[in-house]
Amino acid sequence: MPADADFRLNLDLKISITSGGLRLELDTKSSRIAVVGPSGSGKSTMLRILAGVERRADGIVVVKENCWQDSSNGTWVPSWNRRVGWVPQESLLFPHLTVRQNLSYGGALPDWVSETAALLQIQDLLDRRPRRLSGGERQRVALGRALLSKPRLLLLDEPFSALDRPLRAELSQLVSDWAFERYVPIVLVSHDDEDAKWLAEERWHLGEGGLRKE
Amino acid sequence: MFHKAKTSTCWALPRPPSLRALSRKSVLVAVCLVAPLVPMQLMGAEWSERAWRTDQSKDSVLLVLAAASLADVLPRIGDEWERTGGLSLAFSFAATSRLAVQAAQSGSGDVFFSADPEWIQWLEERGAVSPGRAVHFAANDLVIVVSVDTPVPVHPGMLSGFERIALAGENVPAGRYAREALEKAGVWTELDGSIVTGGSVRGALEWVARGEVPVGIVYRTDAEAEPSVRIAFVFEEPEYRQAEYWAVPLASTEHDQLSADFVNFVLGDSGQAILRAEGFAPSRPTVNDGTGQNLSGGGTGDDLAASFSSAIRLSLIVAFLATLVGLVPAVGLGWLLARRDFPGKAVLSTVVMAPLVIPPVVTGFLLLSVLGASTPLGGLLASLGFPVPFTILGASIAALVVGLPLYVISVRGAFEAVDPMYEELSRTLGSSPWSTFFRISLPLALPGIAAGAVLAFARSLGEFGATVVLAGNVEGSTRTIALAVYTLLESPSGREAIWVLVGASVAISLLALLGFETLSRRQKRRLEDRYAR
Repeated sequence: MPADADFRLNLDLKISITSGGLRLELDTKSSRIAVVGPSGSGKSTMLRILAGVERRADGIVVVKENCWQDSSNGTWVPSWNRRVGWVPQESLLFPHLTVRQNLSYGGALPDWVSETAALLQIQDLLDRRPRRLSGGERQRVALGRALLSKPRLLLLDEPFSALDRPLRAELSQLVSDWAFERYVPIVLVSHDDEDAKWLAEERWHLGEGGLRKE
Repeated sequence: MFHKAKTSTCWALPRPPSLRALSRKSVLVAVCLVAPLVPMQLMGAEWSERAWRTDQSKDSVLLVLAAASLADVLPRIGDEWERTGGLSLAFSFAATSRLAVQAAQSGSGDVFFSADPEWIQWLEERGAVSPGRAVHFAANDLVIVVSVDTPVPVHPGMLSGFERIALAGENVPAGRYAREALEKAGVWTELDGSIVTGGSVRGALEWVARGEVPVGIVYRTDAEAEPSVRIAFVFEEPEYRQAEYWAVPLASTEHDQLSADFVNFVLGDSGQAILRAEGFAPSRPTVNDGTGQNLSGGGTGDDLAASFSSAIRLSLIVAFLATLVGLVPAVGLGWLLARRDFPGKAVLSTVVMAPLVIPPVVTGFLLLSVLGASTPLGGLLASLGFPVPFTILGASIAALVVGLPLYVISVRGAFEAVDPMYEELSRTLGSSPWSTFFRISLPLALPGIAAGAVLAFARSLGEFGATVVLAGNVEGSTRTIALAVYTLLESPSGREAIWVLVGASVAISLLALLGFETLSRRQKRRLEDRYAR
């Protein structure tokens, strides 16, 4: 798979969240990485750091030569300027908005919303409220919302966990193609090797010893 | 008299009568002690007195109900009486009008010291006092007082030049005497719009002493004991009628002979000497012939209906204003406390919540100290055309400050119930924090904010203590439902009429609470983003 040659993801972070502390060191040129590891190892935290919603971390984050965080000189790009498509594990949808409003939250035009909804097979759900969706439907809407925010980086946290296997494969392929066409790199976090297999070209394991390339 | 533990209750507002000689700071402390008694008074004094009597009945004490203007002198006579072997005394000082209604209603108390023969007669008609037993034991002059720094001489004819004139309540003896004197001087009708009435005569005096009202009419004895006011004019006999103090054992007493003995002691040499030393005029043999102005029974049916609808309308306006103006600070503070950590957060939270636990009377006193006409801030507001004391603005501010804690608690709870991840997500989708607040936090918390508004509205409707201190009890501009009920409590025919207002008050409050409940439930539903499984 041809990688985006310009992509560089460089993590050098110290995080003080648990008493033991968590240290993440990652340096890669791959545009598709998967981070696997047991739950509680800090995978989600790593995505939150990349998304810019976790400030209790010291270190450096550089993405595509853009420095998002450098604690040594106080650099901090706020999350609303990072343009990441973050799909958190809980697939949170804004409960007071319809599916359509959720999808266009990042400013997407109606045509584009319809197109992406069709792609994700949620075009019939557009006027529903989130509480009337199944788990799988919710995941697809959350994914669609991230794709529609014109991300420079996709951050996927167990994005397909609520889907059954055939659909999971189909959707992984779809996201993979979508990202490839637009040169959008992906950081995927999963405890499931399947997802990693579909979406990543480089696998990292996060365990007690920190991040390690497999 | 506060050093005497057995002095049971002191109803006078806004400031307990006997505290005049003490510093402002100790007044504040004392108000803290007294204020919790206020609601009891609104519920009727029966309960408190019964409880008190059960406690005290073992060692037999005479309960003396006495006019507020006697609060300094009567305990001194009491000391003398006890020194000569008399039964222990306990005093309850309040406006005569309030005590009379209380005595008739509760059937308790041993001796009644009235500042007005009319109220004795009223008690006689209700069988609470045996006819012909009351004796006249002292007299007092009514005076015009001005604050010490008012340079001009003042006489009744000049009163119309003042924007506001403080009097005691309309059924309180000092208020009735003052009205009578002003009618006699031929100026009453032109003053009608500028009169502000406090509860007891001491309340009116306090306003003048603090400079909130430039001029007032009070008793000579009270005026002489207050260093911050100057006596400008004395309504002297024979042109004007003196205030007459009468004493009588109550029919409810179990110590009739002892009660009569105490009355005689007050009439006797040592009692009279103490009274004279305090500036009271001596007693003279007078028959209570019931002359003079009759007690105001609350007016005709039309008057009552008009004043009721005015009170209800005012309450609603004040509550709406307080709720509306409070919206922005409540949402701001609620969000800040729910979502931000900053140095001094605990202090801010404590200050905002303080009115919830500080007695409202104290809150009113503090507000008056900040926003009163004689303060820099209050003066500035007044010069801009927004005077605070005795205005609907003052009533709304009092209601706002007292209601704000409930408002902020609800709003804070509403924001805390919103998962912060929604806000984080919104920001990663390109929304700035400001835009996230309006697109996510605010809409998600909206039902909870509305619930807080309804709660604050209900609390504002019930506000009494801070309002009466800051805004007074002025019919048509600050007499809300709670104050109207309070006023009716001292009116001879008030207790029948009161039920209309009580009904309105309870109905509005319950509706508001129902609204709160509904909105709280809606808040919970709004945050459900999936079916409960």
